[in-house]
Amino acid sequence: MGVAFDRCDTRPANIDAILSGLDRYNPETTTVFQDYVVQQCEDRTFDCYANLALLKLYQFNPHLLQPETVTNVLVKALTVFPSPAFSLCLALLPAYTQPFPASEADAQSAQSSDFVESVQKLARLSSLLESAQYAQFWSTLNSDDLYADLVADVAGFEELVRIRIAVEVGKAFREINAEVLEQWLDVRNRESLEKFVTEVCSWEVDNSGDNTIIRVPTNKENEARSEVKSERVGMDMFGRVIRRGFEQAA
Amino acid sequence: MSYDERVNAHPNLGDESDVEEEALVNDYREQVNFDDGMSELDRTTSLGAASQTQDLQAQLAAAATPLEYQATLETKFASYDNYCSLFHYILNSDGPVELEVPSYYWAWDVIDEFIYQFESFCRYRNRVARSGSNEEEAQLLRENPNTWGCYSVLNVLYSLIQKSQINEQLAAMKRGEDSAAFAGEYGSRPLYKMLGYFSIIGLLRVHCLLGDFSLALKTLDDIEMNKKAMFARVMAAHFTTYYYVGFSYMMMRRYGDAIRMFSHILVYVSRTKNFQKGGNSYDAIAKKNDQMYALIAICVALHPTRLDDTIHSALREKYGEQLIRLQHGGPEALPLFEELFRSACPKFISPTPPDFDNPALNVDPVDHHTAIFMDEVKNTLYNPTIRSYLKLYTTMDLKKLAGFLEVEPEKLRSWLLINKQRSRQVRWVENGLLDGESVSANDLDYALEKDLIHVSETKAGRRLVDWYLRNLARVY
Repeated sequence: MGVAFDRCDTRPANIDAILSGLDRYNPETTTVFQDYVVQQCEDRTFDCYANLALLKLYQFNPHLLQPETVTNVLVKALTVFPSPAFSLCLALLPAYTQPFPASEADAQSAQSSDFVESVQKLARLSSLLESAQYAQFWSTLNSDDLYADLVADVAGFEELVRIRIAVEVGKAFREINAEVLEQWLDVRNRESLEKFVTEVCSWEVDNSGDNTIIRVPTNKENEARSEVKSERVGMDMFGRVIRRGFEQAA
Repeated sequence: MSYDERVNAHPNLGDESDVEEEALVNDYREQVNFDDGMSELDRTTSLGAASQTQDLQAQLAAAATPLEYQATLETKFASYDNYCSLFHYILNSDGPVELEVPSYYWAWDVIDEFIYQFESFCRYRNRVARSGSNEEEAQLLRENPNTWGCYSVLNVLYSLIQKSQINEQLAAMKRGEDSAAFAGEYGSRPLYKMLGYFSIIGLLRVHCLLGDFSLALKTLDDIEMNKKAMFARVMAAHFTTYYYVGFSYMMMRRYGDAIRMFSHILVYVSRTKNFQKGGNSYDAIAKKNDQMYALIAICVALHPTRLDDTIHSALREKYGEQLIRLQHGGPEALPLFEELFRSACPKFISPTPPDFDNPALNVDPVDHHTAIFMDEVKNTLYNPTIRSYLKLYTTMDLKKLAGFLEVEPEKLRSWLLINKQRSRQVRWVENGLLDGESVSANDLDYALEKDLIHVSETKAGRRLVDWYLRNLARVY
């Protein structure tokens, strides 16, 4: 299962051409990349490598920077946690955004613009997701209308995050209490939770005991089997020996 | 795949590379005996070349010579103009310029110095704006926003690469074809070929300095990372390449790959140490050497791995006490992570002129990248704690463990998820540097059944093939 960082199955050919040529530095392609971000927001795809190219254009041409597009790129990067995507995006933003202000006082003084405040708010969300504090993530997201504005352009943001969380849960759990999962997925209603886990995740619900238990079928990640890794023996390892055999015969 | 298995999978690397390494060491010894590029240059000019060539030779020599440490802003501007006219001459004359490069490392020195001056200029400009103390210099910088501009620097590097068709040549070499067939009018000349080649390494460095780590790695698509590569013939280039590739991997959270890169070059350096002492780049290399050990310490703390014996003992010698603190994790380790990162990271730059009117807006790019990296360190701070406890059990109740650790069960659940996530990493197997497979990088695995943690450990089996091959090599 190869996962080359610079590739993306859903990337159109014209974007691919720009990315592999010098046009990726051409300020005129900014609009092409911006449209592509809009498209990703709408059809729920994500192309980190292309978005980084856009952020690089902004880095070189600060006057072109569109705050909404940047925040949309960041919000999209939130939907693929855990991954370095979000921090790679941050790395290309101007340093004055100070995504992780050292103290509250710094945060206050640095929030000279809405853009800076948005970046810092999204960085906070990213930290919560990356540190698996899902319940806090939802409460933070719901605590301020600004968050709702920030994620508004990204179609199905909450659902995408919910699915990501479910995937991570599926890798670590074989069984999980419904209450815990409710908080993590921010699904407050037992019926919707059962619907989500059975229909979206194809997990099982066990209502037989006092507590409802969600069962995750065994997969490669959650079986955690002890094993003894044996060595891999390939022909290439013997190349030297065989070559020497020929050399000496000659 | 565990680290052991990885070593195990390529045991022949050990033997083959020994032979190559000897060759390289000899190579290096020769280079050192030539002392440095300058005497070479003198020799070629004194052989009675035409006077025009002599002028050019002087310009070439200047391009490879570091500026004085206290160079004034005027000198820096002049140096930029010097590079511009030199590269303009090389790139835009009628047809290729007739010129024999004095040596392999001359081309490297030019590119290296060119980028170094770009880097230090950007940092200087940022500092002037930040401190707001020197009005005169600020004014001068404000009036010349395009001097050492990122577009012109990248333009030079990309033009050299394209003119020399070096990527096509390298791709041909990779396929096992004759690279000369793809070199074209320019690329067949050593001057262009070398400048083009080292421009690729230069791009790697520039992208990394600008914080574009994935593009930095992508730049090296056509270069094969092994000791046969052309960069390996110039010590400083060899070193620089591995440092920036390793660092870029680290920032992409591919710690296993980062460790592999750093270890590779550090082992090589430790073997060639005796020959570097006399070289004039020794100090720079010694400094980078220490930086890479610091980065390895960080990577190993974030991603426990068995290191090469040489590296391990050197690491213990240099950072013994710090390494233990890093590996222990917890909030106490945070300042240490930050300190080491700052001491060992590249000098990040901002490509555009700063805002001279608002000194407070000009944050040091190093602070920016440190903050981003530290966020990830903070998020994974308790992984060592989790691992050290889980190693002791095969099954464990979550609430009980939370009691031991004196944390809320809810928090422990998060920690368990984080540790699980971070033990999966993308690791390079073949093709481009950005390629890779997601592998479990930890010998400790676990799964939760409600609040019961089932722990399992992966043990490495006996490694026989390596043993057989070694002994075969010895007796036959």
